[in-house]
Amino acid sequence: MHIDLTYVALTAVSLASIYGLLALGISIIWSSLGMINMAHGFTFAMAGYGAWLAAQYLAPNGILVVAAGILTGALVGMLIGAIAFLPLYDKPNYPLRSLIATLAISLLGSQFLLWVFGPRVKALPKVFGQESFHLGSAVVSADKLGAIGSSVLVMLVTLIWAKRSRRGLEIRAMMQNPEGAALVGVDLRTTAMAVMAVTGALAGLASVLLAQTYYVSPYAGITPLLKGMIVALAGGLGSIQGALIAAILIGTVEALTAVLLGGSYVLITQFGFIIAILLIRPRGIAGMLEHTRE
Amino acid sequence: MVALSKTLELRARTEQEAGESAASKESGGLASPDLSLVGSRRLLPRMPGHGDRLWHRLRYPFTRRTPLLLATACNAKTLAAEKSIVDKRPLYWIAGLLFLAIAPPLLGDNPLLSAAAVFAIYAAINIVWTLVIGTAGIFSLATLAVVGAAAYGSAYLSIAHGLPWWGMIAVGPLFGLAFGVVIAIPAIRLEGFYYALLTVGLAELCRVYVVQSRALGSATGGLFGADTYLPEGLSDRAGLVLSYYAALALMLAALALYRMIDGQRLGRLLRAAPEKQEAFAEALGINYRAARIQVFLISSAALGLIGGFYATYFKGASPSLFSMDSLLLLLAMIVIGGIGTTEGAVVGTLIVVLFDRVFITLGPMRLIIIAAIMLASVLFTRGGLFSIPAQFAAWREKKKSERRVLRVGTGGETMPEQATDIRDKQSIYLKRFDKTVRDRLRMLITDELIAEHRRSVAGPHGDALERLLNYFRRAAIVDKYAILAVKPFAEYRIVALSGRRGVAPRLVDDKVYATSEEAQHAVFLKRVQDLNEA
Repeated sequence: MHIDLTYVALTAVSLASIYGLLALGISIIWSSLGMINMAHGFTFAMAGYGAWLAAQYLAPNGILVVAAGILTGALVGMLIGAIAFLPLYDKPNYPLRSLIATLAISLLGSQFLLWVFGPRVKALPKVFGQESFHLGSAVVSADKLGAIGSSVLVMLVTLIWAKRSRRGLEIRAMMQNPEGAALVGVDLRTTAMAVMAVTGALAGLASVLLAQTYYVSPYAGITPLLKGMIVALAGGLGSIQGALIAAILIGTVEALTAVLLGGSYVLITQFGFIIAILLIRPRGIAGMLEHTRE
Repeated sequence: MVALSKTLELRARTEQEAGESAASKESGGLASPDLSLVGSRRLLPRMPGHGDRLWHRLRYPFTRRTPLLLATACNAKTLAAEKSIVDKRPLYWIAGLLFLAIAPPLLGDNPLLSAAAVFAIYAAINIVWTLVIGTAGIFSLATLAVVGAAAYGSAYLSIAHGLPWWGMIAVGPLFGLAFGVVIAIPAIRLEGFYYALLTVGLAELCRVYVVQSRALGSATGGLFGADTYLPEGLSDRAGLVLSYYAALALMLAALALYRMIDGQRLGRLLRAAPEKQEAFAEALGINYRAARIQVFLISSAALGLIGGFYATYFKGASPSLFSMDSLLLLLAMIVIGGIGTTEGAVVGTLIVVLFDRVFITLGPMRLIIIAAIMLASVLFTRGGLFSIPAQFAAWREKKKSERRVLRVGTGGETMPEQATDIRDKQSIYLKRFDKTVRDRLRMLITDELIAEHRRSVAGPHGDALERLLNYFRRAAIVDKYAILAVKPFAEYRIVALSGRRGVAPRLVDDKVYATSEEAQHAVFLKRVQDLNEA
């Protein structure tokens, strides 16, 4: 059987870039806030609706749609932080309670979207145009290239920002030792809200990018959330490099499965893959020890 | 003269108060020997007891176990021996279960009765889940997936191979057991949130598989047409009543299973080995891995049985069993009541089913309300509804002690929680006494008093000034003011003693006094200032 390697590689990279955006967000939230954000899927879905509203009522301009998605994502991320992190982070049993709170927000959010926008799916305008290019033997559509380019760009900007800026330093200090960071004058609350805004913006971008091939719907966030979770778990919660490596690996698994076995087996092979990784390395590819988080 | 009368009055007041406090101590000692109980009355029903009846307990046959935890104690006031029920929960359980057994068939119309049956099924699921999430402390979210797998398996066997309803219920545990093995393997390796997220993913995997599989009814949106336990020719109402009692029996069986696991050896082993204390448990000689696998297999088999029952009750199964929303709804049930207790699981299920199945007219608002209750319970309570009394009591204690702090002011009083850490209890009383002395002396300080000291530094002094000076004289030697004669009869300065041998006193300020009297008066003023500021 002949496999078009260029096609597989391109699909793998484009999927990896979208999952990477989500997994990066989940991983950063976990390591800096100590919270598993199960409402990330709600951020994702809501950002899709924000972009759709902008396309519907303002203008179907590509840049505007992307900007609206990112902005909505950031706002929803901050809302989740305000509900699930700020009231709980100094309370007993915080990790479990924040997990349950984000699950409740996820239930609330999907029902809210269903209530407001109805169950019918919405389509976003094509942000990167309709053209396709020939790359070797494979045909590459513009949205795939655009997805890869924009998500890689945004990820790079985020990583550089986290490395260079004052706020990024505060976030990394909070990751390493929240109490120590608070002692030397890092305001945990504003830093946490910054983290939630940035990760929400990443999810918003992923939402707009994925909506180029799929649609926007109230439950659109669940599968990407789970895949982002899988990637973050396989990479090791809290590790940015691990999340990126795992995103590439799992994107490859998905692309290969879709070509070799068919699209319906994607989730099964992905799960087999992640269970294998976790059984060998219970904390993921590069997971940091949970004790350092405490 | 004014000062003298004031002092007399003061002395009289002190004596009166001392007498009062001694009297109150005495009477307190006689009336209530248990001083810690002052102010918090325990509301326990007390039964008179005498002789043999006092120590008589009802026991389960052939065991030493008693249905009710009773305590025999003497009434502090009447000195009569009394029996009191320490833990009233069994009584509440009996009352609640009797209500469930009688009320719905008598009072409810048909929709309410079917909602009550659904409540009983979900309560059974949650009680079994409590074994894993509460007793074993493993945050597994694959519970509904186990139920769904067993329901699908038994419904498929019934539709494709004509399995009767009792066969479905018998086959359910086997499917559950098989699924339990699958989810127990990662549970040994993974911990905490890794496992929780993995189980969420497993449920989603099942949903995708079921939605796409042709054999499991991807075309019709579920498997329907399985055998039912309702006999032919039964009226609608009678069928509903029978279904309800069957579901209630399932719930009672789940409760019995919970009691058998949680109250016996396995439960004790699991409770001794919660997450992050595994090494400790292992050092005690507890094989926690075996215990966890056991509880997983037992609970999975029980969930499988519930799944088989579910399939006969609904005459099939649908993919919504595996959906994220059903999982979250199930989680809402135990979170609202409180994770880890059966009463929490049952009451939480009652609240969620009430909103989900009874208030149907609310439409899509139902789930939003349930999610809002879940969010509120996790934001405001530490462990669901049943932790509210303890949390309220703690909050009240906190407020009480805050008010006490405001009342006594700072400096003199030691809080009871601090007092437990202080070894020398005498120092607590000394501190309190010192504060009252300082407060009283502060009242004595007037401009006339200071003028009197300036007039005659060496004395004779009036009563008030003498009291003040006596207090100053007996101050600790550390940082005590002293006068340094730089040039005798010409130059004096104020120093503060270090209190340590070999360490010279330090100069307090750069003022120079010409006479010894001036310097003494300056020291006096400094001390008065310190007293007023402290």
